[in-house]
Amino acid sequence: MSRYKLQYAKEGPARFISHLDLLRTIERSARRAGLPLVFSQGFNPHPKITFAAPLGVGVAGEAEWGEIELSGDIPEEEVAAAMAATLPEGLTVKAVGRIPEGAPSLMSRVDRGAYRCEAALAGSLPPGELEMAMRSFLGRGEIMIRRKSKAGVEKKVDIRPGILVMSARADDDIIRVEMELKTGSNGNVRVEEALGAFLAMSALPLQTGDFSLFRTGVYAGAGECREEL
Amino acid sequence: MNKIDLILPLVQKPARYAGGEWNAVHKEWGSVEVRVAFAFPDVYEVGMSYLGLQILYGIVNGRPDALMERVFAPWPDMEGKMREHGIPLFTLESRRPVGDFDMLAFTLQYELSFSNLVNMLNLSGIPLRAAERDAGHPLVVAGGPCAFNPEPLADFIDLFVIGEGEESIGALLDAFLAARRRGLDRERFLLEASRLPGIYVPSLYRVKYREDGAVLAVSPAGAGVPDRVVKQVVRDMDQAHFPTRPVVPSTEVVHDRIMLEVMRGCTRGCRFCQAGVIYRPVREKNPETVLGQAAELVRNTGYEEISLVSLSTSDYTPVRRVITSLIDEHACRGVSVSLPSLRVDNFSVELAQEVQRVRRSSLTFAPEAGTQRLRDVINKGVAGEDLLAATGAAFRAGWRAVKLYFMIGLPTETYEDLDGIVQLARAVLEEGKKAGAPRGKLKVTVSASSFVPKAHTPFQWEAQVPLEELKERQAYLAARLKAPGIKFNWHDAGVSFLEAVFARGDRRLGAVLGEAFKLGCRFDGWTEHFHYQRWMEAFRLSGLDPAWYAGRSYHYDDVLPWDHIDAGVSRQFLAREHRQALAGRITPDCRTGSCPGCGLCPTLEIEPFYAGGETGVQV
Repeated sequence: MSRYKLQYAKEGPARFISHLDLLRTIERSARRAGLPLVFSQGFNPHPKITFAAPLGVGVAGEAEWGEIELSGDIPEEEVAAAMAATLPEGLTVKAVGRIPEGAPSLMSRVDRGAYRCEAALAGSLPPGELEMAMRSFLGRGEIMIRRKSKAGVEKKVDIRPGILVMSARADDDIIRVEMELKTGSNGNVRVEEALGAFLAMSALPLQTGDFSLFRTGVYAGAGECREEL
Repeated sequence: MNKIDLILPLVQKPARYAGGEWNAVHKEWGSVEVRVAFAFPDVYEVGMSYLGLQILYGIVNGRPDALMERVFAPWPDMEGKMREHGIPLFTLESRRPVGDFDMLAFTLQYELSFSNLVNMLNLSGIPLRAAERDAGHPLVVAGGPCAFNPEPLADFIDLFVIGEGEESIGALLDAFLAARRRGLDRERFLLEASRLPGIYVPSLYRVKYREDGAVLAVSPAGAGVPDRVVKQVVRDMDQAHFPTRPVVPSTEVVHDRIMLEVMRGCTRGCRFCQAGVIYRPVREKNPETVLGQAAELVRNTGYEEISLVSLSTSDYTPVRRVITSLIDEHACRGVSVSLPSLRVDNFSVELAQEVQRVRRSSLTFAPEAGTQRLRDVINKGVAGEDLLAATGAAFRAGWRAVKLYFMIGLPTETYEDLDGIVQLARAVLEEGKKAGAPRGKLKVTVSASSFVPKAHTPFQWEAQVPLEELKERQAYLAARLKAPGIKFNWHDAGVSFLEAVFARGDRRLGAVLGEAFKLGCRFDGWTEHFHYQRWMEAFRLSGLDPAWYAGRSYHYDDVLPWDHIDAGVSRQFLAREHRQALAGRITPDCRTGSCPGCGLCPTLEIEPFYAGGETGVQV
């Protein structure tokens, strides 16, 4: 039994594949590639494939991480080449590595995600306005948003502690907002939530739906430091 | 950002419209001479579960001079966004507007998708009526089971393909290209196409009506236009194209597995069943073909399940041998085998046991009617004892849930037959208790659909039971099937009523479809989108009475609106079968060697083909 970590991009049409569907898509790609998947025991065996952090439907992932268990000892390069040849449009393998036996799962280690949001502006902004809006946004002690639980109950949540880094700039008529958000089981803020809260508090003539959203990476780490997975 | 990309994040399940699936074919637009958009008039998850799409996609894209791309009906949220942003209907592969294609080919799987077809034409910016189109518009083509009564869509479709599309599509594309090279206009091309086997051009036929509104005659109106259009059939299933590189959806669809067709046709001869007539004769694939295609499919798709599909897979002669070989070869890769439908007998339960060693979901049986008398009327060769034996065997083998499918409103049905459904359901539940199935888990689900008389069947002359009476029969059953362990499901009778109108309708219904589209009718097969009142309004505006269509019983010598479409089975046979039904007499399965004389083999100059080997026939 060997554990592999797989870094991949999820872009183009593939960014609309949901978390559950991605699981099936990777399983089918691995089977097409002839890789010997390992299955869970029980009535409904499923392959041992997990992802470090679910990515919202529609958000492009430039460097996502997943974990896959195979029954043979296959060199990383071979796994990479086999997967690369069988993934559908928009999914590409960037790197394959090993996970030592007994090491914690990527999912349990993930702590934060980095994002980039881009939108076109109709006109140009007065110099410095964007930066000032961002300073004032981040200067708030708390940033309350509404979030629906799985049961449909709406509650108010302060997302400020989950916004680790955030900045905005305008290049010509393209506005870019970049951020690092808490991701994983110890607190999670979605990119749409942070962006939406910022747009609501700024006077920018834009809505979340005007932006293309990218996750540029997911990381482990604690406090100030981020670590590669 | 492209307009389509802008709206996709705003709709439910955007993967429906994103494309980019494994095995999707992207051809250079300029590298081919003819471009076809294949349209399924329902949502992506339904359309991508249709094997016919994959077959035609493989055939057309296999030609160097042609390309085919896919388009499905946008869900109402997507339709709203497309209209709001002025985005015309586009294909998944190239995202080009459907209006740019040379041909727009619809498949007609059920009557309740007709309103979606009209809506899709409108979303494409194509004039709804064939008569309003010109050289700048795609040729609008339609095929599939509902093309066997094409008349309700006659106004909207330039040309119908009658029968199995893989037989006709090649000749149609060749004729289209030849006509273009010769500089023929649309009208001239349609006239020539109408002389091709299996092609029906509705604008080249005139319909005359009797004073009472019934059809008097449908006759050709052009030189060389044939009186009757005969369906086309695949001659050799082993040689026919089968797509071993099907598109693998990236989002879960209804049939999310390998669909491996093992045979076409069914010999059972159930008298309500249209598929049993239009897919005649039975043509089995040789086991070597099936196993070879399975191996390729597993390699090319990565699916975890192979479903052996056909109208009645437990009738496929070498079924057991094929299942065993498939399990031996593919189980080690985590690939399982499944059967979509089961015959009501022990043999089928054994097969199910073989393929479902691990998964213990529910088993489905279709006795269709509650008493032996009525089962004989519909020629469903099932005895009550068979059902009890089969379900008993299933419970003993570990299944806890059994589904039973029935039809209500069948010709000659009485309340005794409904009582029979209740008694059968209770007896099946008893079998479960006897087999020691735990009380809390034991479940018998009874589903009752309403009978819809269909063209080309022995019941084509029969009226549908009136809507109010159908509702009463549903309520009668619902009141009597309230018991612990029994669950009763039924379909909206209003939907079945509408289905009956269109299943035997004539071309005047085109006006109703036009009005219904304007009133916002879409996705009528989906309970949450079906608006009975809007349809009634559409009939009122068109001056037509839906009950006249659904409730009409024909005489044997009446002209039927679909008489000019020839499914290969003789009218005399259908009439004889109808009389046999009313007399409660059964007709043996043609597999047994005694030919019931349906007339198909001599008409189409074809023979049934059985793959031989160990027999699975139990009749």
